[in-house]
Amino acid sequence: MALDYRKCAEQISANIGGGANVVSAAHCATRLRLVIADNSKINKKALEDVEGVKGMFESNGQIQLIIGTGTVNKVYDEFLAVTGVSAATKDDVKKAAASQMPLWKKILKTPGDVFVPILPAIVASGLMMGLVEALAKVIPSFGQSGWFLFLDMVANTAFALLPVLVAVSAARVFGANIFLGAVIGIMMVHPALMNAWTVTPTNQPAVWIQLGFLKISAVGYQGHVIPVILSVFLMANIEKKLHKVVPEMIDLFVTPLVTVMATAFATFMVIGPVFSILENYVLAFAHWLVTSTGGIGALIMGAIYPFTVVMGLHHMYNVIEAGMLASGGLNIWMPIASAANFAQFGACLAVAFKCRNAKLKSVALPSSLSAALGITEPAIFGVNFRFMKPFIAGVIGGAVGSLFGAIAGIGATAYGVTGIPGFLIIDHKIPYTILLLISGGIAFGITTFIWHEEGEEAPKAEAVEEKAFDAPVVIRCKNGEVKQPVKGSVVKREDIPDDTFASGVLGDGVGVEPSEGLVVAPFDGEITSVAESQHAVGLESAGMELLIHVGVDTVNMKGDGFTCLVAEGDKVKAGQPLIRFDMAKIEKAGYKKTVAVLLTNSEDLEEVVCG
Amino acid sequence: MKTFEYTIKDPVGIHARPAGLLVKEVKKFASAITITKGEKAVNALKLMALMGMGIKQGDTIKVSVEGADEEAAAAAIEAFFNANL
Repeated sequence: MALDYRKCAEQISANIGGGANVVSAAHCATRLRLVIADNSKINKKALEDVEGVKGMFESNGQIQLIIGTGTVNKVYDEFLAVTGVSAATKDDVKKAAASQMPLWKKILKTPGDVFVPILPAIVASGLMMGLVEALAKVIPSFGQSGWFLFLDMVANTAFALLPVLVAVSAARVFGANIFLGAVIGIMMVHPALMNAWTVTPTNQPAVWIQLGFLKISAVGYQGHVIPVILSVFLMANIEKKLHKVVPEMIDLFVTPLVTVMATAFATFMVIGPVFSILENYVLAFAHWLVTSTGGIGALIMGAIYPFTVVMGLHHMYNVIEAGMLASGGLNIWMPIASAANFAQFGACLAVAFKCRNAKLKSVALPSSLSAALGITEPAIFGVNFRFMKPFIAGVIGGAVGSLFGAIAGIGATAYGVTGIPGFLIIDHKIPYTILLLISGGIAFGITTFIWHEEGEEAPKAEAVEEKAFDAPVVIRCKNGEVKQPVKGSVVKREDIPDDTFASGVLGDGVGVEPSEGLVVAPFDGEITSVAESQHAVGLESAGMELLIHVGVDTVNMKGDGFTCLVAEGDKVKAGQPLIRFDMAKIEKAGYKKTVAVLLTNSEDLEEVVCG
Repeated sequence: MKTFEYTIKDPVGIHARPAGLLVKEVKKFASAITITKGEKAVNALKLMALMGMGIKQGDTIKVSVEGADEEAAAAAIEAFFNANL
């Protein structure tokens, strides 16, 4: 049933004149993109009829075969094997980059990769949950009403069944079938299992199966993250191995069956129990730390609290809080949790303020709001933990805030809310305010100080360049010189991977394979035009009309990834930044990055020498 | 003088490549060719000026051709627009 990738690749190869006729091969999400040396050897009709090819078209000497998501990469792999073409594609670059990353970094990166796609769901739920729960504390009658029950249900859906979202996303990250991933996620919160949040020392889940020291308890994984990611990771590996060894004919029923069964056993027998043992130790340790060691304990707990959120253990803390209140004392756990949470809010807010990437800003701002209301998952997973430094800043802020809380001796008279809604249950509001300011402020300050958005270092380098722009001259004519406007290797105009540029229709010049995403002015002159999609700029000096065009077909990106720093009519100095572009985005969009530098009126100029 | 109007169909409008092709086409003729969009008018020989107009899909432009070979030029340019834009 599945497409025979090998056969598909072989047929494609046969209809394009074989591997020798392929200049380069790459693929994007759905298409196989081939640059062909001799187009006359292509049999278009036959190509379209190859099983697995859903369509083909040509675009500037590149033939694009539509193959489909999830399939194109496999056909591509086979295609490389069949044709012997070496792949210098974005994938390889990415893989090479990933394999250079140390293991611990890869591991730390995973929760972030898994969490980012599901952020919209949990940001919405986090904010709603914070508001609904706060409202219920302010207006007790609302807390008793059906309205509350309904709104609370809506708000906490994503959190109560978080493993489902995590599992689906993790399946995508690990390259597993997302529906099998969903099954694992749903299984971990199956209604037949006892809700993990309701487990107490007196209310223990039933043991379904006992095999020696291995047992399966009927308890769910509500609110968990790490065990779910581990399970799906395991599942992805099982699934991939099976796809390789199971004969194609029975693959469809054997592989999913064995994958789900094996993963289920591993999850409930090993991964789950290991985590619950870990959880119990952490709980006992946390309880001892906070109740027996005074300020130092609070300091340490404030520091490790966000790590326990990462582990998904914080949902268990209600047990400690309830215990404190039941024994007649104050809930001194809550100030610690508040300090830790509010510090993550501070760190996330700092990122929101400092970052220039609009997308990151749009994630960081609502995430920080949610954290201020006591729901920190969006801030931690979506922002702070991804960049690490803000997370650490939060750890420090939380620790100091917790220490202050312990010294001030404040506590709560109930439990369930932290952060700003925490005012409703805290006994002394002024020290609590100071605690929030300390933890949030420290985290905010440290983050602002130590965290830099990637790629932010660039401006300094530019300033130096401006003083002495000593790039090599790439085009000379009687009227003047054109210096290389972008760092990278110079290629002949004829070798620019685009017919129009290469043919010289737009004038004579050179191409540059950029090694840096910044175009600077190649001479002192005036900006005569700026493309609407910000990827090209025209400038003039001493009768030379120059076009600098970043990438091939990048007009289709409609400005995404390009920032033009000048406007029509601006006077510019050699070396002044003109266009900043995101090389990764261009690659991701499947376009060539070659920057065309062309004297558009070269026909009217004398003694034009390029290169 | 010959004039005609044309509404751009190409999704990305007159960007570098079509502008270059247009200039090349215009150069074949002796007539002065002007492209007008709204209040802006440019000489169709000026690549930079053409690109700077920011002509997009759905924009209607006016093309004026004046000179000895205006008949032939207007026909050729109109054909060019139909084929490329």
